[in-house]
Amino acid sequence: MTRRRTYQLVVLFFAALLAMGAADAAGRFSSIGHKLVCTCGCTQILVECNHVGCPDSPKLIAELRGKIASGDGDTSIFNWFAAKYGPTVLATPMRGGFDNVAWIVPVSLFLLATLGTVYIVHRWNRRSQPAIAGVPSSTAQAPSDDLRDRIRRDTEY
Amino acid sequence: MGILAGVVLLLILFAYTFWPDENPFVQRAKTRVDYLDERRDVIYENLRDLNFEYRAGKYPEEDYVTQRTSLEDEAAHVLAEIDTLRPLKR
Amino acid sequence: MNQQLTSAPVLSHPMPQFGSFALLLALMLSVYTLLAGSIALWQMAYGRRGRISPEKLAETARRAGIASFIAVASAAFALVWASFTNDYSVAYILHHTNRDLNPAYKFSALWSGQEGSLLLWAFLLSVYGFVLRLKHKVDVRLSAYASTILSSVQVFFLLILVFAAPPFALWQGAPQPDGFGLNPLLQYPEMVIHPPMLYFGYVGFAVPFAFALGALMMRYPGEKWIAITRRWTMIAWLFLTCGICLGMHWAYAVLGWGGYWGWDPVENASFLPWLTGTAFLHSVMMQEKRGMMKSWNVWLIFITFLLTILGTDLTRSGLVSSVHAFAQSSIGSWFTTFMVIVFAVCLFTYFLQRDHLKSENKLESVVSREASFLFNNLVLLAACFTILWGTLFPVLSEYVQGSKVTMGAPYFNRVAVPVGLFLLFLTGVGPLLAWRSTSLRSIRRNMILPCIAVVFTAVVLIAFGVRPWKDDEAAGGIYALLAFSIGAGVITAISSEFLRGAGVVRTQTRKNLLSSGILLVRRNTRRYGGYLVHFGIVVLFAGLAGSAFKQEKELEMGFGDSIELSGYKLVCQSFTQDSNKNYDTDYALLDVYKGTKKITQLAPEKRFYNASQTSSTMVAIHSTLARDLYVVFEGRNPETNRPIIRVIINPLVSWIWIGVGIVVLGTFIALAPSIRPALTGSLTPKSEERELQPVAGGAA
Repeated sequence: MTRRRTYQLVVLFFAALLAMGAADAAGRFSSIGHKLVCTCGCTQILVECNHVGCPDSPKLIAELRGKIASGDGDTSIFNWFAAKYGPTVLATPMRGGFDNVAWIVPVSLFLLATLGTVYIVHRWNRRSQPAIAGVPSSTAQAPSDDLRDRIRRDTEY
Repeated sequence: MGILAGVVLLLILFAYTFWPDENPFVQRAKTRVDYLDERRDVIYENLRDLNFEYRAGKYPEEDYVTQRTSLEDEAAHVLAEIDTLRPLKR
Repeated sequence: MNQQLTSAPVLSHPMPQFGSFALLLALMLSVYTLLAGSIALWQMAYGRRGRISPEKLAETARRAGIASFIAVASAAFALVWASFTNDYSVAYILHHTNRDLNPAYKFSALWSGQEGSLLLWAFLLSVYGFVLRLKHKVDVRLSAYASTILSSVQVFFLLILVFAAPPFALWQGAPQPDGFGLNPLLQYPEMVIHPPMLYFGYVGFAVPFAFALGALMMRYPGEKWIAITRRWTMIAWLFLTCGICLGMHWAYAVLGWGGYWGWDPVENASFLPWLTGTAFLHSVMMQEKRGMMKSWNVWLIFITFLLTILGTDLTRSGLVSSVHAFAQSSIGSWFTTFMVIVFAVCLFTYFLQRDHLKSENKLESVVSREASFLFNNLVLLAACFTILWGTLFPVLSEYVQGSKVTMGAPYFNRVAVPVGLFLLFLTGVGPLLAWRSTSLRSIRRNMILPCIAVVFTAVVLIAFGVRPWKDDEAAGGIYALLAFSIGAGVITAISSEFLRGAGVVRTQTRKNLLSSGILLVRRNTRRYGGYLVHFGIVVLFAGLAGSAFKQEKELEMGFGDSIELSGYKLVCQSFTQDSNKNYDTDYALLDVYKGTKKITQLAPEKRFYNASQTSSTMVAIHSTLARDLYVVFEGRNPETNRPIIRVIINPLVSWIWIGVGIVVLGTFIALAPSIRPALTGSLTPKSEERELQPVAGGAA
């Protein structure tokens, strides 16, 4: 009884592991496939390129399946594809080195610009404090009530 | 034929360009008063906006008063200058 | 092929002859406008007088500008005429039309190739120039500056048309009985209006650019020039928006990959000036109302104009590869040179006159409409730079590491989607903030409702099954959830703004809420038109977010076979072939059922065009507000000869086009003049001031 139970558990465990592995493989296929582009010139994501008669995508997809089945890591799969078809097969630059510049420059520029904007706002804000606290510097003296009434009449909403 | 049509077009366009019967290109230079008039219009517009936004509940009372005073002072300054520059026409 | 072409007209071809002559004439007139205008303005600025008074000279320059419009229009007419009369002695007509082409497409042949589209560009520029010169009385001197600057742009395009890409070049090979046909991808109704719309937008930004540069050159006193150019900018922006969205719709309906935006370099090129143009439309309000950000605005419009030229340069020079098939040519170097010259002139003028651009006011509070515009500008420009960077990085990479890389949709989506969401957030927050400063108390009060709407929408969506953390494509799901929730908040914010405004008018006029609302809009068309544009953007974003829930299936279908997806059942009734003079077609007839009820029949096609020997797909789309059923005839399986059908469910796509419609409506409202609230007081009447001294600078 106990042995049978143990046996069942082991089978269940491996079955679950296998199912997980399968789900994992499908997930990996989709996630890696979305990071590659078809090389036929249609510039579509590899797993989304399925126009009939595409000379390249079925072959690439088969190769990708083979690579995943053979248990290669993501990086080594990308490297393999990049070596075989050139770096344009990768949907985004991801080989490290100069490729990183593609990501770093916009992000750092955005951060710099944000800091710059915050600095400018801060500086303006500081400068304008005295101006709104009191009477604007442009007016030497307060306007007459007459003039103020005229302005109010003209600017009623 | 094509060239003939082209030459006709050329003659018409040249006649139009170099035969201006009247010369509408007269514009007196913008005066200080013109400039001040524009400034006044802008400040008035800002004041109207301020009044509207206050009524729509965007400003608390004290902010509104400060803003309005500051804009009115600015407008008064401009109006005063306009009044001194512009010859009164009654 | 170049050896076979010549730009020298031969006597037996009257229309191309006339066209070439008209272009030459237009070039002469534009050069005259540029030279005479420059001399006259220089004389006026420095008080010099020649034999002819500068005023008279300027007037002839203006008229020559108007005349050049007639000349360019004549050339465009000649090309269209040649297209309609099947004049295959013209190489351009031979390459882009054929006898059996639908007349609408014969007309659109004007912009189907490089030379023609450059002619269209020159023509549209001359249209803008024509209107500007006719309406010059709004400010004669400023218009003269703008007209002269515009004519320099016109000279550039006409130089290309006369020397580098002559549209009337004659075919020197053996006479051809029929043309080679129009690219089938362009044989689609939207292609008749998409390119002119886009070009109207591109070219349109030349006008505010000319005004801004002119105002800076002449040290225009005050900010009135912005009011003068506002409508021009908005019209250019509107055309560009429509052009981009028509392009999206065309890509969606014709290319057959089920999407509408692929981050192709040409798409990016059209999007870049849109981003900076949008930034300009917002930040220029700060200058108009508060005299702030003058240098920034000047540079924004300079950059917008330069980006319109860069876009053309990118696509014509073959610098970046694109699915938009434009022949690679030497035109690119013309554009690069022109861009460098324009940039140099802008930089020089700016440094010469920069003291004229001092701000009159400073930001008074971090929490104000001004600050929100500042951040909106920051984000729009960051987006613009990132997209430009992504578009050009392959070139840079090739230069630095010797190999091109792909900057595919995943790159742009990763960067652009968060930025887009932040912009969406700002479209709601901006209107809630008051000018100058907003107290925290009023912010809290105004923000409560939108925040509730955000949380409520998120909860409802999660309750109804939008659970990004469970999905495979989690990122898309999360962004969609955010887009819907923020969108709901923005709509609440805009509506509450509108209702509060209407409330003010109602207490004032004692009319009902609807009439008060209408009166409110009429009193400030710009603000409420703008709010409507924001609303349209929210709707558009909702449509974009729908793509996160896309589903698709592909199947080879024989008679009676069916395919089921998302509650739809498609049954193949037949598949057959047909042909007409222009193309052969291969299509399937599919009955579409929802439940047991037949709702429609779809006929996706694949066409083969005889003249050009190329094929294209015609997607069949069944659109509803909730989703599009998008069916593509992929082709036939060579072994079984049965059609392969791809079915895609694209949720909420209709809302993208509805959103665009709302944006257009909002822009029209913003373009309409506002009425003033009835004044109780009276403004001082204007009188004669001839004796007053002219003013040199604004802040004098």
